[in-house]
Amino acid sequence: MARTSFAALIGAVVLAGIAASNPVQAQVIGVSWSNFQEERWKTDEAAIKAAIAAGGGTYVSADAQSSAVKQITDIEALIARGAKALIVLAQDANAIRPAVEKAVNEGIPVIGYDRLIEMKDVLYITFDNKEVGRLQAREVFKVKPDGNYVFIKGSSADPNANFLFSGQMEVLGDAIKAGKVKNVGESYTDGWLPANAQRNMEQFLTANRNKVDAVVASNDGTAGGAVAALAAQGMAGAVPVSGQDGDHAALNRVALGTQTVSVWKDARLLGRTAGEQAMTLAKGTKLAALQGTKAWADGPRKVAMTSILLTPVPITKDNLDVVIQAGWVPKDVVCRGVKAGTAKACN
Amino acid sequence: MSHAQAPLVEMRDMSISFGGVRAVDGVSLDLQGGEVVGLLGHNGAGKSTLIKMLSGAYRPDAGDIRIDGRPATIHSPRDARRYGIETIYQTLALAENLDAAANLFLGRELRSGWGTLDDVAMEVETRKVMARLNPHFAKFKAPVRALSGGQRQAVAIARAIHFNARVLIMDEPTAALGPQETQQVADLIVQLKKEGIGIFLISHDIHDVFDLSDRVAVMKNGRLVGTARTRAVTKDEVLGMIILGTCPPAATPGPGVLAGGSA
Amino acid sequence: MRREPGRAFAGLFRATEIDARLVGMLGALALIWIGVDILSGGAFLTPRNLWNLSVQTASVAVMAAGMVLVIVARHIDLSVGSILGLVGMIMGVTQAEFLPKYLGFDHPLIWVIALAVGLAVGAAIGLLHGAIVAYLGVPAFIVTLGGLLVWRGCAWWITSGRTVAPMDDAFRRMGGGIEGAIGASWTWVVALIAFAAIVWRTLHARGRRRQVGFALRPIWAEVTVAGLACLAVWAVVLVANSYDLPPRVAERIAAERGLVVPPQGLAIAHGLALPVLIAVCVGIVVTFLAQRTRFGRYVFALGGNPEATELSGVDTKRVTMLVFVLMGMLCAVAAAISTARLNAATNAQGMLDELYVIAAAVIGGTSLGGGLGTVAGAMLGALVMQSLQSGMVLMGLDTPLQNIVVGLVLVVAVWLDRLYRSRTLKGSTG
Repeated sequence: MARTSFAALIGAVVLAGIAASNPVQAQVIGVSWSNFQEERWKTDEAAIKAAIAAGGGTYVSADAQSSAVKQITDIEALIARGAKALIVLAQDANAIRPAVEKAVNEGIPVIGYDRLIEMKDVLYITFDNKEVGRLQAREVFKVKPDGNYVFIKGSSADPNANFLFSGQMEVLGDAIKAGKVKNVGESYTDGWLPANAQRNMEQFLTANRNKVDAVVASNDGTAGGAVAALAAQGMAGAVPVSGQDGDHAALNRVALGTQTVSVWKDARLLGRTAGEQAMTLAKGTKLAALQGTKAWADGPRKVAMTSILLTPVPITKDNLDVVIQAGWVPKDVVCRGVKAGTAKACN
Repeated sequence: MSHAQAPLVEMRDMSISFGGVRAVDGVSLDLQGGEVVGLLGHNGAGKSTLIKMLSGAYRPDAGDIRIDGRPATIHSPRDARRYGIETIYQTLALAENLDAAANLFLGRELRSGWGTLDDVAMEVETRKVMARLNPHFAKFKAPVRALSGGQRQAVAIARAIHFNARVLIMDEPTAALGPQETQQVADLIVQLKKEGIGIFLISHDIHDVFDLSDRVAVMKNGRLVGTARTRAVTKDEVLGMIILGTCPPAATPGPGVLAGGSA
Repeated sequence: MRREPGRAFAGLFRATEIDARLVGMLGALALIWIGVDILSGGAFLTPRNLWNLSVQTASVAVMAAGMVLVIVARHIDLSVGSILGLVGMIMGVTQAEFLPKYLGFDHPLIWVIALAVGLAVGAAIGLLHGAIVAYLGVPAFIVTLGGLLVWRGCAWWITSGRTVAPMDDAFRRMGGGIEGAIGASWTWVVALIAFAAIVWRTLHARGRRRQVGFALRPIWAEVTVAGLACLAVWAVVLVANSYDLPPRVAERIAAERGLVVPPQGLAIAHGLALPVLIAVCVGIVVTFLAQRTRFGRYVFALGGNPEATELSGVDTKRVTMLVFVLMGMLCAVAAAISTARLNAATNAQGMLDELYVIAAAVIGGTSLGGGLGTVAGAMLGALVMQSLQSGMVLMGLDTPLQNIVVGLVLVVAVWLDRLYRSRTLKGSTG
């Protein structure tokens, strides 16, 4: 008798506690990362968290550790945890579709973050990766409008690598056709690993007996590998090299002159935009009613999608103060080892 | 057996238990120099366990061991070796990938003045020892896995006698050998007896034990049934000791003998 | 009549006492080199590419030397890539961010301290692995699998994934490149030392044999073997000294040293690369440990028969632990080479290296069952794999195809090794 009433008392306390802890429904925003271990995503996360907190929401996340299969489980788990909107950085754009469909069917809006998930109900927020490729090629072309070009591409498993390459080719296509620019070496870089880029660059230099005039590298890590290979031949600084991500080491190279450009995608802007849009969607706004979006159908299947394309900024020696002023990188890191008078931002 | 000097090995009231089971229970056994004592019994009778207490692989719960009449403390294989007790295991305990010399000196390598291994000196010593046992042996540089069963046996025995063993424990020495090689082992044992080495022989094969031993000791369920001179008893009587625990008249009964069985 | 020359040759070959498997591997390497050279239009067998190849191989070769002992002892180490990443990151942060605060940049001691810190961390990790394997009895596969995950996670943690660059100038020399070679004259010095060592060793071994009255190798065999070894050293030196510095760099150095530049340009040779010198020294030291010390003897005995070794009174637990300590330290050396070469510490450094290191050891004749293996073979195995990978880039073959070829070569090499082993065993019983 006493035991039953005791249990009832406990039950009542628990229920009251649950009720009391939910006075207002705070929106839960679920973020599914593909591989949190790469350098840049911590910045994105901080920005997303801040935007969600500013909107009064709660941030929950999961890391798929580069496994497409795990990411499906992660998304299901985030839905089970009550996510009212999802931000997904897809490991594999095709493998993720079942999980995204499930979310959409349950009325949960999905944002495709940085990497394309080609479905009409997904809001695609990214830096225009093709534009990144174009900017990379353009800056290198400015320095060396003719000669032998080497292309250090990204990972063959990453669709972004092909977006970048196609953007690069858009800019250089005419010059290649006219014979002014020659493609003397092109390869994917396994896992985007700098060490692989270094080795491939060494082999290209050997195959062409150092007659390489420009290197279009797809990100700062691979650019670092290419520059190391060039340095071993005394060519660093004489050959323009491109990159992206605004890695601190790369910005230092830009100041030193061994890298020509690092296309900067302010991950804080991307994260903030995604966080804000996620809050708006979670609070009930429909996809079609969002502000600041535009129609986009440039994916491989030409699906008509809603997107927000942010503009990447090419950082060269002339505008290094942009990243310094924006608080992205401290001045002493950028200017380490730079001789006085060679870089405007370091004077 | 009225020797004026003390026996080479005396084991008194040896006992050991594993997890509540008495593997060896109050066994006492002697060994004289130049004598071969065969240890017989079923699987699990405790023969190997008893002998492992002598060779330092196990520490007894009770009982003591005397070598040459003096008490001996044997807590590890190293201790046993210091008393001149060497074991030749059924599996021979040879490293198949190393050659004869390396196996002979395993754990006791000869070193040059600079502290490095002196392979040449070790080979010289190995040749000397092997000459005593098997003058035709030539494969000094081959890994042991390339040797025949009899040759491996010879290497294992060589390891034992090189380090001045006085007591040899041989566990199933002829198990994997053909008749010719068994004869080789028999010749080796005769050689060793002449040098005054005492040998404990553990075997299932009653025929081999009879051929090779001077005395037999039979164990059953961890206790000693009895000991006898091989010349004084028949194989059937010994079988009876093993299976039934009965002790024939010519044998000295032990505490494990079946009650009322010493007829 | 036709059989006679074959038998005679086999007899002559046996008289030289050279390890047939080693010769086989060298033959395979030669075949690969010639094949790739033809298919890449003559770009492979150039001093420059061979020099690059040697530097590219160095870090895996160093780790392969340690892996041989681990596998011989019947264990495995799956964490070497992650240890490399963690130690590389620690060394990078030490020299680029921590020490400059107290010593300023370009202090001559920075590289020494960074390297010492790296070696200490590598040894400590190895000690931890070894202690768990030896004293707690957890299988090495599991311990090092855990290590693979744990140390990689730690590497990320140190800088939250940020790449650390650039490295200290003196430290960079360990990665090869222009500053990382010893120059022509020093290379000849090294060659002379090598010649002297070969001759001394031949004479010493012969003298020792005569002393105890063993059969001696025929004089012609001694001369041939020593001669071939010296020839190999000479070939390596020639290649290293034929690879000249880029013209611009040579001019700069000439200006610094006040040399006169002849009209056709000054040819200053690279000489041996520092990472290659380090790898060769590691190979010699580990081979010495394996063949001439008790520790090495016990490692092999442990691999052949752990119970027998235990019964012989050897402290097998301590030997096991030390094997892993050595492996950890060699990972640290490889990390130094790899970080110096890239001139940056990234948190993904060394990822998947464990597979290449194990493959190198196995291609080089190390048996996964334990008890058999040579350091020289493993380092040659690393060279074989790197030759294939780099060669295929020269031939214009892309990464997926490279991986397929390397995987196939691994399986074929092990199959051939087993064939060889079973044949020699059959021939020698009885």
